[in-house]
Amino acid sequence: MRRGGGSHQRCLGLTPTPPPPCVQPCCRPLCYEQSERRLHKSLQMKMEEMSLSGLDNSKLEAIAQEIYADLVEDSCLGFCFEVHRAVKCGYFFLDDTDPDSMKDFEIVDQPGLDIFGQVFNQWKSKECVCPNCSRSIAASRFAPHLEKCLGMGRNSSRIANRRIANSNNMNKSESDQEDNDDINDNDWSYGSEKKAKKRKSDKLWYLPFQNPNSPRRSKSLKHKNGFSVCTSASNTLPLLFSSSGELSNSDPFKYNNSTGISYETLGPEELRSLLTTQCGVISEHTKKMCTRSLRCPQHTDEQRRAVRIYFLGPSAVLPEVESSLDNDSFDMTDSQALISRLQWDGSSDLSPSDSGSSKTSENQGWGLGTNSSESRKTKKKKSHLSLVGTASGLGSNKKKKPKPPAPPTPSIYDDIN
Amino acid sequence: MVVSKMNKDVQVRAAINQTLIEKLEKENSSELLRAKLIECGWKDQLKAHCKEVIKEKGLEHVTVDDLVAEVTPKGRALVPASVKKELLQRTRTFLAQHASL
Repeated sequence: MRRGGGSHQRCLGLTPTPPPPCVQPCCRPLCYEQSERRLHKSLQMKMEEMSLSGLDNSKLEAIAQEIYADLVEDSCLGFCFEVHRAVKCGYFFLDDTDPDSMKDFEIVDQPGLDIFGQVFNQWKSKECVCPNCSRSIAASRFAPHLEKCLGMGRNSSRIANRRIANSNNMNKSESDQEDNDDINDNDWSYGSEKKAKKRKSDKLWYLPFQNPNSPRRSKSLKHKNGFSVCTSASNTLPLLFSSSGELSNSDPFKYNNSTGISYETLGPEELRSLLTTQCGVISEHTKKMCTRSLRCPQHTDEQRRAVRIYFLGPSAVLPEVESSLDNDSFDMTDSQALISRLQWDGSSDLSPSDSGSSKTSENQGWGLGTNSSESRKTKKKKSHLSLVGTASGLGSNKKKKPKPPAPPTPSIYDDIN
Repeated sequence: MVVSKMNKDVQVRAAINQTLIEKLEKENSSELLRAKLIECGWKDQLKAHCKEVIKEKGLEHVTVDDLVAEVTPKGRALVPASVKKELLQRTRTFLAQHASL
């Protein structure tokens, strides 16, 4: 056996620890040689024993114990050498900290605290101020709120909302901006429905028709009936005309249509071309223009006409209008005219057939269809006169005085009659 | 003569082989033991004890023999029973396998 330090360690099975400080054979500690010799001897003995057959269990056990003892001793020796080297090289006490620091970082063992001494739910009551909307938000809800607020998260739909806001700012429409936002948000979040419901008092004059913000509206859409869809679609008309007295181009931009058939991004020419080829009736549920053909069964011609008038001015007509009556009757009217006609649902001034049909369908919005069609054919002149009288009144009172406009019109109509 | 010589060679070779195998087994065992001792905290305990000894004796005057004399008995005692059992089992198995030589 060679007597190099490295090989010795190998023989002993020690980890590759560095050699003891002094490598001279003369200075090597005694234990080395002793253990070396012992090991060698024991190995030889074992070999001899094993070569002799007929080993009994006690002897085997004794040998096993001896081998174990040797192994443990090796480990201890190896450890000693490590420590001694560390002491002599000066890094033995390096991993110790001074008592002061030890006290600072002592493990805390109190109830309600973790081992660092921090309170468990300390951040539950803390509130942060959102930099975007300047609201105070609970800390645990802050991240999701920020996601929605900044419109950058996976589930946030603020991209569309941002677009509306941008186009709203661009056009600077003067009225009902909040209303529109609420309406626009209807489809996106339930929160705005609450706001919209609060404003129900402001929109009482919609009562003849279906409340645009009630859940019934969306339910009717879900039935996917031809009629039910029409009722909800027809309810868009009051909404459309309520925004302002004038048919400004700003109106379309208030109403949020999603991409696809979003008329907020279309120019007048594009709109016109679109309306000449497609149905174009705006669904109240999705705020999209219908892309079906001009003869689409889900919407009536009346709705299509109303949409075209809304977008393109009073002189706009359906591409396939059957009678020229429409042109005549709408020469003088603006949106206000239509508004006033729309509210005559329950009035008794109209012909019995009109009122009857309108009363039965009071809450369905068909009144619009029947009213318009009847008046168009038989009472166009009357409608002109009365409309002129009430137009201005309607325009200004659209928001604040829903009821008053209704009573006056029957009286005017009476006068005419 | 040649045959006997060959026999002797074979025997010697066999003996060497056996030694080598045993050494390998020994090395493996000691590696295993070291790992287990570190795992169970034996080394840290012993280190703490060493620190005390060194502080007593003075950092400059520590010798290996001192350390050995102090540490070895404590080390032997501190080995956990489970580790001892496992190692003994391993050795017995090895011996049982190679006893028939």
